[in-house]
Amino acid sequence: MPRLLATLAAALFCALATPASAERGTAGGAGTLTIGITQFPATFHPTIDAMLAKSYMLALGRRPITAYDPDWRQICMLCSKLPTIENGLAEKEELPDGSEGIAVTYSLHPDATWGDGEPVTSEDVRFTWEVGKHPKSGVAAGEIYRRIREIEIHDEHTFTVHVDRVTFDYNDFALSILPAHLEREVFEADPAQYRNRTTFDAEPTNPGLYFGPYRMVEVTQGARAVFEPNPTWYGPAPAFDRIVVRVIENTAALEANLLSGSIDMIAGELGLNIDQALALEKRHGERYEFIYQPGLVYEHIDFNLDNPILADRKVRHALAYAADRQAITEQLFQGKQQVAHSSVSPLDTVHTEDVPKYPYKPDKAAKLLDEAGWNRMKGGIRHNAKGEPLRLRLMTTAGNRTRELVQQVLQSQWRQAGIDVRIKNEPARVFFGETVTKRKYGGMAMYAWLSSPESVPRSSLHSDMIPSEENAWSGQNIPGFANERMDALIDRTERELDPEKRKKLWAEIQQLYARELPVLPLFWRAQPFVLPTWLTGLEPTGHQFPTTLWVEEWGRKAGG
Amino acid sequence: MLSYVIQRLFESLLVLFVMSFVIYALIGLMPGDPIDLMIQADPNLTPADQQRLKALYGLDRPLVERYWNWLQGALQGDFGYSRLYSRPVPEVIWPRLANTVLLLGLSLLLALLIALPAGVAAATRPGSLLDGAVNLTAFAGISVPPFWLAILLIILFAVTLGWFPAGGMGESDAGIVEQARHLALPVLALTLSRIGGIIRYVRASMMEALRQDYVRTARAKGLSRRRVLISHALRNAMIPVVTILALDMGMLFSGALITETIFGWLGMGKTIFDAIMGNDYNLALMGLLFATVLTLAANLLADLAYAWLDPRIAYR
Amino acid sequence: MSGTAPARLSAEASRAIGPSGSPLRLLWRRFLRHRLALTSLAVLIVLAAAALAAPLVEAWTPLNATKVDLMARSAPPSWAHPLGTDELGRDLLLRLLYGGRVSLAVGISAALMAAVIGTVIGLAAGYFGGTLDSILMRITDGVIALPLLPLLIVLAAVDFTKLGLPAALMEGPQGSLYRIVFLVALVGWNTVARLVRGATLSMKAREFVTAAHALGAGNTRVMLVHLLPNVASPIIVATTLSVGNIILLESVLSFLGLGIQPPMASWGNMLTNAQELIYSAPMLAVWPGLLIFVTVMAFNFLGDGLQDALDPRAGEGHQVR
Repeated sequence: MPRLLATLAAALFCALATPASAERGTAGGAGTLTIGITQFPATFHPTIDAMLAKSYMLALGRRPITAYDPDWRQICMLCSKLPTIENGLAEKEELPDGSEGIAVTYSLHPDATWGDGEPVTSEDVRFTWEVGKHPKSGVAAGEIYRRIREIEIHDEHTFTVHVDRVTFDYNDFALSILPAHLEREVFEADPAQYRNRTTFDAEPTNPGLYFGPYRMVEVTQGARAVFEPNPTWYGPAPAFDRIVVRVIENTAALEANLLSGSIDMIAGELGLNIDQALALEKRHGERYEFIYQPGLVYEHIDFNLDNPILADRKVRHALAYAADRQAITEQLFQGKQQVAHSSVSPLDTVHTEDVPKYPYKPDKAAKLLDEAGWNRMKGGIRHNAKGEPLRLRLMTTAGNRTRELVQQVLQSQWRQAGIDVRIKNEPARVFFGETVTKRKYGGMAMYAWLSSPESVPRSSLHSDMIPSEENAWSGQNIPGFANERMDALIDRTERELDPEKRKKLWAEIQQLYARELPVLPLFWRAQPFVLPTWLTGLEPTGHQFPTTLWVEEWGRKAGG
Repeated sequence: MLSYVIQRLFESLLVLFVMSFVIYALIGLMPGDPIDLMIQADPNLTPADQQRLKALYGLDRPLVERYWNWLQGALQGDFGYSRLYSRPVPEVIWPRLANTVLLLGLSLLLALLIALPAGVAAATRPGSLLDGAVNLTAFAGISVPPFWLAILLIILFAVTLGWFPAGGMGESDAGIVEQARHLALPVLALTLSRIGGIIRYVRASMMEALRQDYVRTARAKGLSRRRVLISHALRNAMIPVVTILALDMGMLFSGALITETIFGWLGMGKTIFDAIMGNDYNLALMGLLFATVLTLAANLLADLAYAWLDPRIAYR
Repeated sequence: MSGTAPARLSAEASRAIGPSGSPLRLLWRRFLRHRLALTSLAVLIVLAAAALAAPLVEAWTPLNATKVDLMARSAPPSWAHPLGTDELGRDLLLRLLYGGRVSLAVGISAALMAAVIGTVIGLAAGYFGGTLDSILMRITDGVIALPLLPLLIVLAAVDFTKLGLPAALMEGPQGSLYRIVFLVALVGWNTVARLVRGATLSMKAREFVTAAHALGAGNTRVMLVHLLPNVASPIIVATTLSVGNIILLESVLSFLGLGIQPPMASWGNMLTNAQELIYSAPMLAVWPGLLIFVTVMAFNFLGDGLQDALDPRAGEGHQVR
């Protein structure tokens, strides 16, 4: 405690002594900021896998070429001008095989420099692509690299990307580039071993890996990473002299660390459960600032459409009408977690409110179930003419407390409608590794998708994407939804460049989704940010780009 | 006796070899593989990526073949890379093993420092108020759910009193005092849950020793009570205590898991758990094998101690 | 000092009578002298009775263990809910009773199953000796070293119905309970096996066993009639003590998300669920924590008392595990 007071006093002194000098390259002297998160990255390599903890930490020291800003608009981060067809930087072109591709030209920020003094160049971009498309490099998501036919370098900072197809998101190039001057040698020595030998993991504190406002100066595997200002950063100087990201996986312990002053804030991206945050706010609302940002994590229940009971749309509708989702969010989450009506977030620009909705209407549910033939009550449970009970299994990840709470409430509500729901939960790795991917969940599976702005639901709704023995269980259409209209809409939306026309297609996707209801939408999971009252400038995004991408705007309030 | 030891060592090696396969098979039998888990975390992965990655990680090969490859590597000192930490396995394990040994060693030391005098005192005055109190404390210690205890300690010492940090390892440059402050609560939690058992061993074997003829003889010869207690009874009473502690070795790793998880202490228990949950074959395998080796070694020692203590048991 | 002197005398006396002839009366008297053990037994009987009565309580009172009431989450004690409600508005008292049923059932049945397996293996190893002993004891070593966690995860995915277990049992709401009992028994028998083997080893050279052999008794008969009763006391003691440990283990497994699954209550999962709300609704954690504590402690005292009564001079070292 005395140490904390001393730090605070020192910080106060500094804040008063040097009023936010925005001199380039020097930090503003706002002291140390300690952030608590719940996960440690498996690798610090930016492109090998996608892990929230990693993008959160790396965003302090690196920037993607493009990103979405907190208002969900596409922006340039490392590039200097967002290419569009309108401004001429993107041009359709004919491919050798006669189909249509697109050439998009970017320029990197002229002052971007790696922490060891080497300039950030087009060569780095090209190298990142070479690594990404190499089949043995270990880069998980290879699709975006495979679609690129060629990267043509014009000069140190300008290059043109030739893509083999025209999609609406042609200028979405959220690539996190690799430093060719450090990595090329490692990669070319043995591409198959690159994922094990990369500098990002062998020496993550190498200054040459970072060009952002901060660079990693110290790391303890599994526990924390320390960042200090990077002198080669080209943007406005960040305020904090030091940022420590601490990893505490147990959320009760995370909370205790906050209360005891060991950490200053809890990141919303990877922090407390919503009900924990609400309970914390009730007790310590005045000590911290609480922000509940609705995010892109879509909690839902997949209906297994191979199940004869659930194959009947009336039963699916009845399940929706019989579940009081509004009451759940109000009582469990104090209304901070919005009820979802489709798979598109209300924050998304293509979202539409004009979809069939299923408010809590037990009478309607009862009527639908009667119509579907489940009209004989025995011991409070509906049975059909054959005497079979209306019994469904509901599965989710064991040990996820929030989900288990919602699950038990739903079970109780459905029970009142005469539906016997049996809960069976499994540890996450069994549930996702086997039950969900192989569609073994029989009845209903409750989990979440992490989406991104305007992400076309090909993998989760297209009929080609139903996992089966034949396609080696690939694809993510877990309900087994096969609908020709949906397939057509997905194909067309991907290729439609006109934003207005695309919006109409999107509306139709959402309406079809809500009408057919292959999935029961539950909530948009809110990210609870618990911040010190003296922190300024942090603006939650709600999408996959973490708040740390704008860390140079963070500061300490005078007197804080 | 020597041939017995050699035979047991040989058998232990055999068990270790069999265990390495059993553990490998167990992990392999677990549903899902690393790629399945990756897909859940990344909606951008396509079926093509999935096939490519499975081939790259060798997950499309049969289990026995993968084990054989691992064994060949392991015998040459190549234990592979950890998937969760992207580092060679020994590089991940050594510092964590050191952390666990530090945590377990300190708590064992502390537990012994308290349990020895308490157990001896209780044993010399059976039925007294002191004996009752020591007994009650000992039973309380072994009856508390460990994570419950850890959380109570955090609430009391970290949140309410603010004496110690609620968890974490301490900054490496913060000096010895800061490190010690971070150790305080986990060590305390582990000590409290260990101490009851040790007190009871000490008390029981001390009572047994006090009943032996040589102790009575020593007393009769006019040696001071204190001298008899320390040099005769305690020394003999310690043998079974040490044996039992050795037997508990393997359990310690898993016992430390809870403490390590709650206090964010980077030790072996937690590493093994994370490796299993995160489908990190190489790391889980090595961690579990370490635990197995320790258990086997401790069992061997315990058996030898028994044979030495009780000559009636013949080993052939 | 003086209070325990007669106890020691009677212990000597029972020894003189010989291993097969301990009079029950003496046993009972020695046990009665153990006030703590007696109290523990009373506490356990009360707890078990209360837990068994849970459905009756639910039937006779307006309390309901499963009805979710979102308007009354974590409510304080009232007339309607004597101990208040849990995080979903269910009656806490009734859930504690139901949780007790589960926790006690897991503890007792797993301990019994483990004891049976351990006794068979220990008797066989100790009695026959030689290669069989070597093999069995190496298996025991292996099982001690067997990692519980991957086993649990694997078993969470194993389809028990394919192993011939009735689907209604494993698929029903109590599936996770059977899984845990089965699993704990599977890895928990080694303590008993070691104890029984040790006792058998030192017992089989005694005169009465040799005499039985001389009188023409077969192996099975010698093991069951002559050895088993004489190795019974360590089994009884170890089993009693392990009940407490298994109840603790269940709470730890719940903490790791591998225990009894909701909506079924166990003290372990109630405690785990409560830990995240420990500041706002501390009583939700206090009650199950206290009950686990008291129950485990009672089983330990009971085991201790039994040990003193059955074998007053044996070291206490073997039992914890």
